Amino acid sequence: MLRYIAARTGGALAVLAAITLFVAFGVRLTGDPAVAQFEGGTPPSAEDIARIQRALGTNRPFLTQYGAFVADALRGNLGTSFRSGQPVVALIAERTPATLALATGGMVVALLAAFPLGTYAATHRNALADVLIRVGSLLGLSFPNFWLGIMLILIVAVRLRWLPPSGYSGPESLILPSVTLGIVLASTLVRLVRASLLDTLGQPYVRTARAKGLRERVVIGRHALRNALLPVVTFVGLQFGALLGGIVILETVYAWPGIGQLAVSAVVTRDYPVVQGIVVVLACGVILINLLVDISYGLLNPRVRVGV
Amino acid sequence: MTSRAHGAVRVGLAVALCAVMTAMLGGGPAGAQSPAHSRGRSLVIVQAQDPQTWDPIATFLLSWGMVGSNLFDGLLDRGPDLVLRPGLATSWMWIRPDVLQFKLRKGVKFHNGEPVDADAVKFTFDRLLGPEGAKGPQQGNYKSIDHVQVVDPFTVNFVMKTEDPVIVTKLAGYGAMIVPPKYIQEHGSAYFGSNPVGTGPFKFVEYRKDDHLTLAVNRDYWNGAPHVSAVTYRFVPEAATRVAELQAGRADIAQGIPVSQAEVVKKDANLTLMPVGSPTVIEIRFDPSKPPAGDVRFRKAVIASIDVQTIISTILQGYGHRVSTFQSPLSFGNDASMKPYPYDPNQAKQLLAEAGIKPGTEVTLSFPSNNADFREAAQAMGSYLQAVGLKLVLQPFEQVTYFSDILPHAKTGPIYEFGWGGWTLDFDNTAYLLYHKGEYWNPVFSDSEVERYLTQERTTNDQGARRKAFFALDHRLYDLAIDFPLWQTVNLWGINKRVRGFVAPPDDRVRLLSIDVQ
Repeated sequence: MLRYIAARTGGALAVLAAITLFVAFGVRLTGDPAVAQFEGGTPPSAEDIARIQRALGTNRPFLTQYGAFVADALRGNLGTSFRSGQPVVALIAERTPATLALATGGMVVALLAAFPLGTYAATHRNALADVLIRVGSLLGLSFPNFWLGIMLILIVAVRLRWLPPSGYSGPESLILPSVTLGIVLASTLVRLVRASLLDTLGQPYVRTARAKGLRERVVIGRHALRNALLPVVTFVGLQFGALLGGIVILETVYAWPGIGQLAVSAVVTRDYPVVQGIVVVLACGVILINLLVDISYGLLNPRVRVGV
Repeated sequence: MTSRAHGAVRVGLAVALCAVMTAMLGGGPAGAQSPAHSRGRSLVIVQAQDPQTWDPIATFLLSWGMVGSNLFDGLLDRGPDLVLRPGLATSWMWIRPDVLQFKLRKGVKFHNGEPVDADAVKFTFDRLLGPEGAKGPQQGNYKSIDHVQVVDPFTVNFVMKTEDPVIVTKLAGYGAMIVPPKYIQEHGSAYFGSNPVGTGPFKFVEYRKDDHLTLAVNRDYWNGAPHVSAVTYRFVPEAATRVAELQAGRADIAQGIPVSQAEVVKKDANLTLMPVGSPTVIEIRFDPSKPPAGDVRFRKAVIASIDVQTIISTILQGYGHRVSTFQSPLSFGNDASMKPYPYDPNQAKQLLAEAGIKPGTEVTLSFPSNNADFREAAQAMGSYLQAVGLKLVLQPFEQVTYFSDILPHAKTGPIYEFGWGGWTLDFDNTAYLLYHKGEYWNPVFSDSEVERYLTQERTTNDQGARRKAFFALDHRLYDLAIDFPLWQTVNLWGINKRVRGFVAPPDDRVRLLSIDVQ
């Protein structure tokens, strides 16, 4: 088992190294941060550009820059932002709560919407409500989330003035972005809940439960839904990547001060250390989750270990 | 479970239906008390970008100027009328051809209580011209200064290294804002960048990156206290969201209203739309090393074939001014008597025939894709060029890639887009870096007559002689048709009607001192 864990951990570290190399190299192919600093000002001379390159250290050979980045990162230092002069670790830490709040909010909205709607659709198969829910979820999937965001802002914030259009002024600020994110996630989820529940409803144990004379509520709630939950939970876990992608766009629409907005502005201004830092942190998160899953599979199921 | 689900669905549907119907019927508290009034005399401004640092030497962004001009003062100042006026210096004069002397205002203090004196001025420029300044984009503008000399506590001499006829103007720019020596020495530049201390009419209270910045009134301001009670700047990248904040009454001033949203602001009874011509000009340049752009007949044919005025009145909805040279009419060196080449497709066809360019010839137009207005204009240009027998191929690039890899290495098509704001409002900066041979932005073009005028304007402080050199340059460039100046951009501001005394500044430096709210 130790060998298995060591091999998986080694693999994870190799993936992380490949990702950092790819990002550090890739971001440097897309333009010069020294040039980006002059946006909105006057055309810089070649001399100005060279001076800033020297000050930022971007004139050094790529491998030197990458080596310094790795050496610092191993000591927990992700460098300093070119734009603000602040440590990247601090910038990311400062933004994480806002992004986590939005991710959680979106997930809660999605689950709250998807379970009742999916269950209702499955138990009223082919009824009008089922058709409406299915069409609705298709619509939800087809709307780009930034468009949905702007529409919700126009209706709920501008027209009705129920909620603030953007920013981070209190708990109520979380509602609109969470609903937007939630609608997009729920659209996929509702179809999955419905399909999964329909599948379990056809199983022999549900027939048996019904044959025992249990009330329909108990049959669905206690027997069918619980079993239908498994693929849904797996899916929710896998959705995390998609969730992050949606968050990046929504943070911009809703002026939400999270990691997504930090990433977008860092890419636009070619703030290499910030871009690298965010990718490293996110990659570490995803790799860690996968590693834990792999190891727990190995612990649970001895057959998995054989493959090493 | 199911009945509970039933209930949830019913309630959900009912709420959604109500919301949609109220919205559609145009209900809602449109006529009710706007949240703007509950803010009293405090002001909320929404702007697109957070510059990430408030250190004057570390930025070039217009979004910095919107804020920084209220936190800091320079020796000189330039208001919305763009005329230079005294700031922390009460007077200035050249006491020798290479020494510019300033008399400082007495009794001014930084927000932390430090005195503003000759030592603070010296510290500011030592920092700007030293290693700290080398990290930022501002240093290059001030490299004609050799050093600053303290004469007495309220007199400083700027000793010049080289001629710089634009230095007085530059001293009203961002980089030359006077900063507190003790505070920066104690806390360091990174801290200063997120906790700025200046001498301006407003002082720093709180800053949350990419979210908001709060300022309080500086009651002891040397030029009188501001009328408003406090200011919050909020950073909202999406233009539609900025307009929404304005419509919802949660913001008083919004910067960067896109042309597509201009009507929305205009039609709102609580709002005013204010357009103002900016120093930024958009043009098409020709790369003479790439055929057929080396032929002046081709260049003039392209210019004659496109009806720029129609593009301005349709795509830009009139928010743009036709220009004849690559500088805004606000800039020193602009010959107002020059007229742009007229739209004349027949002449264009004739010129193309003379140059032996076959109908259906493909021409590539490279441009950065971030400017939505230009992207639409480029499509319109495609049909204009088709009408005279040229096939336009559009080649968009991401902005930073375009400016760092494509343009300076002459990897564009024979025609390409270029746009810049001449912040000094003097043609010198733009002209020198764009037409002087071998500059970063000018990898190919060279002309000896152009070089002569550029040297003439740069080596004298005599404004009359400089104007003459610029006018000659304007005409030479016009005859060469080396570029195709399109329009001066017009910035749109959305203002809540409760705001009084707001003047839309051409350079985005909103002066809050004169603003009041009802």
